[in-house]
This record gives sequence, structure tokens and C-alpha cells, in this order.
Amino acid sequence: MKSFFTPKFNGFFVANLVAFTLIGLSKLSEKYIFTYNAGVLVFSEFVIIPLLMGIISAWFWRDSNLSSNKLTGYSCMNAFIAILLSFIFLGEGMICLIIVSPLLMVLVIAGAFIGKSMFNKNNQTLNISILSLMAVVFFADASTPHRYDNMVADEVQINAPVSQVWQHVVAFKRIEEKNKYWLFKAGMPSPVQATVDGYHVGAGRKCIFSNGYVFDEKIVTYDVNRNLTFDITHQPRDPEIMGHIDILRGQFLLKDNGNNTTTLIGNSWYRLYVFPAWYYDTWAKSITRNVHIRVMEHIKELSESK
Amino acid sequence: MFLFIIKYFGFLKFVPGLAILFDNGLKLYSLLTKPNILDCVDEIEATLLQWPHTSVTTHKYGGIQFNYEGKEIGHIHSNGLLDMLLSRKLKARWMQDGRIQDHHSFKNSGWISFYISTIEDKEYAIQLLQAGYEKVMQSDMK
Repeated sequence: MKSFFTPKFNGFFVANLVAFTLIGLSKLSEKYIFTYNAGVLVFSEFVIIPLLMGIISAWFWRDSNLSSNKLTGYSCMNAFIAILLSFIFLGEGMICLIIVSPLLMVLVIAGAFIGKSMFNKNNQTLNISILSLMAVVFFADASTPHRYDNMVADEVQINAPVSQVWQHVVAFKRIEEKNKYWLFKAGMPSPVQATVDGYHVGAGRKCIFSNGYVFDEKIVTYDVNRNLTFDITHQPRDPEIMGHIDILRGQFLLKDNGNNTTTLIGNSWYRLYVFPAWYYDTWAKSITRNVHIRVMEHIKELSESK
Repeated sequence: MFLFIIKYFGFLKFVPGLAILFDNGLKLYSLLTKPNILDCVDEIEATLLQWPHTSVTTHKYGGIQFNYEGKEIGHIHSNGLLDMLLSRKLKARWMQDGRIQDHHSFKNSGWISFYISTIEDKEYAIQLLQAGYEKVMQSDMK
């Protein structure tokens, strides 16, 4: 038994054990104390915990005299174990884990090298100060309300008059075009069709995705040949990215260019439930932009076909 | 890629910790593409620490920094890029070998850059650092 718990094994085992215990505590605190953060994955869970994992590993590996190559490789393995455990125990989806893995790996590596430096210096006051600071940041972050809303806008030029484009904006037939965006190719659901049950304000609209997901929408602005705005009334809660972002509102604006061509503008408003926003918003923008492009290119193709 | 990021996103180095995080990303990149770079950096570190009054710290913009009595001799980013300050005279002399280049940011200065990717490069980097060590040591004695 003793030989099983070698420093090398402990570097992986204890780091992951502490990480998942902290995530568990964080989830409990969201459920019973900081209820305003329910369902939110805060900054600390993606920054402080991986850094701490690296530091804990470095503590167990401090006498192993690991080369930078090995320390980096072991840290990657540590992050990979955490990702695998998140898949098994937290029910996170593959796309989600693809998105989070670069951040996690870099931070675990950073933590391991910070730890190596800390334990080489062997300055207990400094070590305790760093760990205390991390604890304070973690607590402050977990107890602070998190909210991040953003909007993405894209436009395409269509060689057709607005009246023709409008016919394909409100509802459009199935997109048969193959996906070009790598995350869609990797299995992330992409939009394939939109249907409506009426052509007026208050009518229901459905945006159907490739895996059968349906976003229920309600038309809130119906200004023929100019503006179609819809609020999302229901969206799938899925282990994949859908659980970490809410699409709030969508909009198509049509501008008559005066030469039988139209500028089609697609806007989407969304709310993120994962932090740090600077990291996840980069992905959210990219995904939303590619949803826009796929739909708007399809509208362009339908409008321009004779 | 590195130079592209430095050129267009270099301003982000002033965000506390971001450059250090980026350098750890470089470690991952080096591990996947040229794992011997990290070994070379380890060996350079071990060699330099045998010289009197030297120490290593984390460079403020990421990477490992070599010091003489707390004064910087040079630093190596985790993609194997050695940056160091020489006198202009020394720089001109080393430039004749054709292996070093102007620093990626400070072109008209004594700063130089040198990419380490092979064992021979490692030896050359140690020679460069030796020159930098002597320069810092001499300026310290004045």
C-alpha cells in the first residue's frame, strides 16, 4: 500500500482530489450560501484551482529533480486526468472539455513551475502568503455575483432585393451545406433549419440544430423587409456548451442598398455562465459568429438562387 | 508565430501574470514540437548556477532570468529565445558570427536575441551568457 502512494502518484492523486473537493465545496456554497451564482462556473474554478493543482504536484515532486520537460509533461497529464474526471463525474461534454483544456493545461503547468520555484526557495512565510492569497481570491470570487452579457454582430452582402431576402429570413428550409467551422465538424451542433407558426409579432419560431436541439423563440419585432427580432423562450440544457451559455435574443436587420442588393445584419445577445470571461467570451464570439455565418450564407444562397 | 503574437499582442504583457501564463503556454508548445529546447534550457541553468554569485528568477515577462548579484545577465523564454543586453561593441563583434540577431523588440540597442534549438546552440548560448556575465561583473566592479 505504501509503495502505491509514491510521490509521483500523490502528485496526480492529491492534486485532483483537492481540486474536486474545492469544486464540490464551491457548488455547495452556490446551492446554500451564494445562491446568486447557482449554475455559474466562476473564474477561480478555472484559474485558482488549476494553479493550486500544479503547486500541490510540485510539492510532492519537489525531491524528484524533474526536468522542465518532465514537469511540463506530468502537468499536462495532471490536467488530462482532471478533464477525464470532469467528463465522468461532472458530466461535462466533449466540446466543453476541448474548449477548457488549453486554459487548464497552461495553468497547471504554470502552477507546477510556481510551486517548483516556491519549494526551491523553501521560504515558509512566502509559501503561506501565496496560498493564503489564493484562498482569499477564491473566496472573494466565489462570493461575488457573476454576470456577463455580450452581443455579436455580423453582416453579409446579398445580391437580391430586400423583399426576396426577407422571405428566407423569417423561416428557411434545411441547410444541406457541409460544415466548415472546426467545432461543428468536431461534433458541436450547428443550425440547420428555422420554422415559424405565424408571420406577426408574438408568433413562435423554432431554430433547429443538427442534433435535434430546438431553440424556441418568440417574434418580438416584425417589421417586414427591415427587422426581425426574436427572444429565446426555451433552449436545451445540455452537458455540452449549451449549459454554459444562454442565447437571449436574435435579430436580423435588412438594409436596402438601393441597387437591388441587400445588407443582412445578424445580431445575437448572449449570457455566459463560465468565467474568466476574457477566455470563454473569445470562444462564445467565435461560435456565435459561425452560427451567424452558417445561417446568413444559407439565406444568401436561397435569396440569390433564381 | 511567437513574433506575430509579440508584434500584435505585445501590449498585453503589462497585464499582471499574462506574460508568465503565455510563457507556460510556450512550454507546452515546446514540449509538443521541440522537446529538446526545455532540456537545453535546464542544462544552461545548471551551468550558469555554477558560476559565482549567479541566481535564477522568473523573468517579469515570462521565462527564466539569469542574474549576477541580482542584476540581469539575460533571460530565456520557454520557446528557447535567449534575450540579453550586451554593449554595442560586444554586440557588433558577436554579430559577425551571423548567429545572433537584433532583439525582437529593441532593434537599435545592445539587446540581442538568439534562438536555441540544438545542442550546438546551447553551447553558443552559454558562451553568450558568459560574455554577458563578464560585462555585468565588470560594470558592477566599477
